[in-house]
Amino acid sequence: MTGTWWAGTWLVAQRNITDNLRSRAFTVVTVLLLLVSVGAVVVPGLLSRSDTGWTLATTGSTPAVVAAVQDAARATGTELEHVALAGGAQVRRAVQEGDADAGLAGGTLYVRADSGGALAALVSQAVVAVDVGQRLLAAGLSPEQVAQVQSVRAPEQVPLSGVQDTGRAAAGFLVGIVLYLAVTFAGSTIATAVATEKGTRISEVLLAVLRPSQIMVGTVLAVGLVTFGQVLLLATPVAVAARWGGTIGLPAVAGADIALGIVWFVLGFVLYSFAFAAAGALVDKVTDVSATVTPVTLVLVAGYMVGVLAATSDSEGAVSVVASLFPVSAPLVMPIRWAGGQVPPVQLVLSMAGTAVTAALLAALAATVYRRALLITGRRARLREVVHLRAAA
Amino acid sequence: MSVQTARRPADVAVHPGLAVRGVSHAFGDRQALAEVSFGVTPGVMTGLLGPNGAGKTTLLRVLLGVLTPDRGSVTFAGRPVAAEHRRRWGYMPQERGLYPAMRAGEQVVYFGRLHGLTRREAVVRAHAILGDLGLAERWADRTSTLSGGMQQRLQLATALVHEPEVIVLDEPFAGLDPLAVADLSRALRARSASGCTVLFSSHQLDLVQDLCEDIAMIDHGWAVLAGSVADLRAASGERQLRLHLATTDRSWLPRFPGVTVVGDLADELRLALPADVDPLVVLDAARAVTRVDDFGLELPTLSQLFVRAADLGGRP
Repeated sequence: MTGTWWAGTWLVAQRNITDNLRSRAFTVVTVLLLLVSVGAVVVPGLLSRSDTGWTLATTGSTPAVVAAVQDAARATGTELEHVALAGGAQVRRAVQEGDADAGLAGGTLYVRADSGGALAALVSQAVVAVDVGQRLLAAGLSPEQVAQVQSVRAPEQVPLSGVQDTGRAAAGFLVGIVLYLAVTFAGSTIATAVATEKGTRISEVLLAVLRPSQIMVGTVLAVGLVTFGQVLLLATPVAVAARWGGTIGLPAVAGADIALGIVWFVLGFVLYSFAFAAAGALVDKVTDVSATVTPVTLVLVAGYMVGVLAATSDSEGAVSVVASLFPVSAPLVMPIRWAGGQVPPVQLVLSMAGTAVTAALLAALAATVYRRALLITGRRARLREVVHLRAAA
Repeated sequence: MSVQTARRPADVAVHPGLAVRGVSHAFGDRQALAEVSFGVTPGVMTGLLGPNGAGKTTLLRVLLGVLTPDRGSVTFAGRPVAAEHRRRWGYMPQERGLYPAMRAGEQVVYFGRLHGLTRREAVVRAHAILGDLGLAERWADRTSTLSGGMQQRLQLATALVHEPEVIVLDEPFAGLDPLAVADLSRALRARSASGCTVLFSSHQLDLVQDLCEDIAMIDHGWAVLAGSVADLRAASGERQLRLHLATTDRSWLPRFPGVTVVGDLADELRLALPADVDPLVVLDAARAVTRVDDFGLELPTLSQLFVRAADLGGRP
């Protein structure tokens, strides 16, 4: 074996990193994802900048109503622009053509169908408040008394969702999405790298010098490092915008949650990477890769679907609990469940241990398949056949 | 079983080179190797010969430790071969084992380092061997852009960069044009002459007849012939008379009942002569009937020896 186990493994990893960084697929995917990342930061900013306020069109001058709406809008953090138009028809057209978000003409309030109703509520409330105030004044109340009546406030609204803390829930989702995307891209890279060695019989030369575990771990390590680098690169625009731009509001997440998210990412990545590596070792030609990785991809997609659907709709239901403990789906489901804040720590430890052990077993399986599938050439090997093949080692 | 051997048998007390003893291996019900024994002496080019499917690749994989045999052993200089020893060997697989996206020079450096060279040593030796093999200009070229012949030489460079003491090649001549065969033969002969232990497999028996000094022939997993090519050919006790005749008239042949026809092609008649038949008498008989354009007295070819040995059967 080449020096120590680690020296040989690192040689394999270095070679794969170079191969990876040089490949056209890497350049295209990285540039594309970087554009998406930058776009995700920049575009909402541009869109919301053009749409940071409301425009209210009215007939003639209704200063009291406009002032009341402006006060109310400012309280919600929105600017209100006022346009005074000649008549009801012009107000109606302004709203219809999108020049105004709402229009007040006499006793009619025109609103855009897609405006969401917030402005309409504000304007209605303002009209009613001004009208009631005038009637109270007319009824003989002093301006102070009217002001006191109008100081009545509706109860504060607190939006609630199924999880206790939306920031943590978002972090859980993020782990799921990033893991799913990273494994999808990296998995095919790993399977292709292994399949290339198998298909070109390089594996035969390597096995005369290296142990199969060195080749498997080296390949997964290389693709893992490159993928992790890509994830960091993609996170940069978001981090920069959050730190200095202030244009996007990231949920405040505790350092512990971030650390946990990274641990889950690594565990899930390693587990699926070895599954993809084993699938890659079964092929005879590189073009067979897509067929052999299909079962792994299906499990990944199923795990992700269960994670998103079950864990969000009923994070403590039987399906969610089982899926978050089952090693293959745990990295995709448990982070989302954990974010709900109701998971006993023992379940977290159990699912992490299960995933780690399964990843180690898959690594051993991948190494065995790599070694034994070498003896089956000229056609695609079946997993059962390779596992049952009389010991080649 | 009966294995014909001549000179340098594998069963001497301590073989100076690579010794395969009683190696057997089965894949399920299929017996791939059956009690195969032979030796490869340093400095003596040795061919592992046999038809496709005979078990040559399986045997090479056993030598390289990729496959552990059911029974038998492989020793080098009398000691069992361990992984650390194999790390110093050079191996060239049957199908080209190169990374298509890597540059030629980097590829050789990588394999050198896998075989234990430091980065600096690997770079120096990679430059030297690519220069030797006429690929110095191709250092920075992507492997996939090289021609088939260049890839073959690059493959050889990756197997030789660490200056191995044992060189194992699986079907190195398959698919090569005559010039490439000559180049590769020269490179291997040079290594062998410098004391390396060189073993290569081939199913093209007559192509490598002049290249190997020793052979081990296997058929259906059994060793059927092993030893020095010259001795085996001479020991066959058979001389062949090759005649190029102007006509197809063979009326004179029945006068020699002991003579058998080995081959009768358009212009070449090949006859096996028993020890008591004088070749000149046969030649005169032919000349009396037709014009003889060319003739020669030869030993049997390797493929003829193989057919005979396979018929006798190492197999039970």
